[in-house]
Amino acid sequence: MTSRLSQGQLIAAIGAAVLLVAMFLPWIGVSGPSLPSGVSLPPGVSGAVGDTSENVWKGSTLDVYLLITVIVAAVPALLALTDSAEEFSFVSAATFLLGVVAVILVAAWLTIDFPDGAERKIGAFIGLGAAAVIAFGGFRAMQEEVAGEI
Amino acid sequence: MDLNRLSQGQMVAAASAILLFIFTFLPWFGVSGGIISGGGVVTASKNFSLWEIENPLDIYLFIVILVALLPAVMTLVGGGTDGGGLAGMATALLGGIGTLMIFYQLFDHDFFGVGFSTKIGFWLGLLACAGIAVGGYLSMQDEAGGERY
Repeated sequence: MTSRLSQGQLIAAIGAAVLLVAMFLPWIGVSGPSLPSGVSLPPGVSGAVGDTSENVWKGSTLDVYLLITVIVAAVPALLALTDSAEEFSFVSAATFLLGVVAVILVAAWLTIDFPDGAERKIGAFIGLGAAAVIAFGGFRAMQEEVAGEI
Repeated sequence: MDLNRLSQGQMVAAASAILLFIFTFLPWFGVSGGIISGGGVVTASKNFSLWEIENPLDIYLFIVILVALLPAVMTLVGGGTDGGGLAGMATALLGGIGTLMIFYQLFDHDFFGVGFSTKIGFWLGLLACAGIAVGGYLSMQDEAGGERY
């Protein structure tokens, strides 16, 4: 099944799977004031203080873009899984393009657009790495397609 | 500068990109609210351009604008090369995703909370980004030698 995939397509598919998982990990954390010892909160308001973490699905446009990137990067692998003989010549280029833009967007979000006082969590860094892997996989797949045509 | 050297798709994409850049400075979102004070209600509202919100959409649309303008600029300045079929594909793909991302803001605006509303810049930006996607698609058609729609 994986033998039908080129090395670049396989790398991009692995990056897509990692990115999809990373999207559900914490990306941003907010630290609130801690309660003095011996003080308890009534039920239902325990989330109002202390540390809270959110994943990328909350409050950012990144979620829909990264989901599209995951889908495009995973298309060749999905076609191989379903034994489809279709080949899309633009998929590798699209994977590379979307991967590069994803790296730029996540890096910009982590630096320029990041909310003041919030904390960067592990999911954001794994997502950034996975986007870079997708871009590299797309680039490698493009190289392999060109080499195959010669 | 001879604009006749541009294909129909390149012209549509480039014009839409310039319009989108202008529209990013118009109000895109607004928030309003009110408080009860002294027996009366005091209301306040504030509008935000695309650049004033903490959201990666501004950077993404700036990339879309650059990608949409690049083939036209290269054709006008470079004398013929337009990046091949990839330029049209990249413009159509990024423009289409951009249109989807703008439209998605209607359902995903946690950063504003209650009192959120869309403004004129949002809808004009949506149309301009769709124009970029259409221009990219027409460029692909032009480059493939197919018929224009």
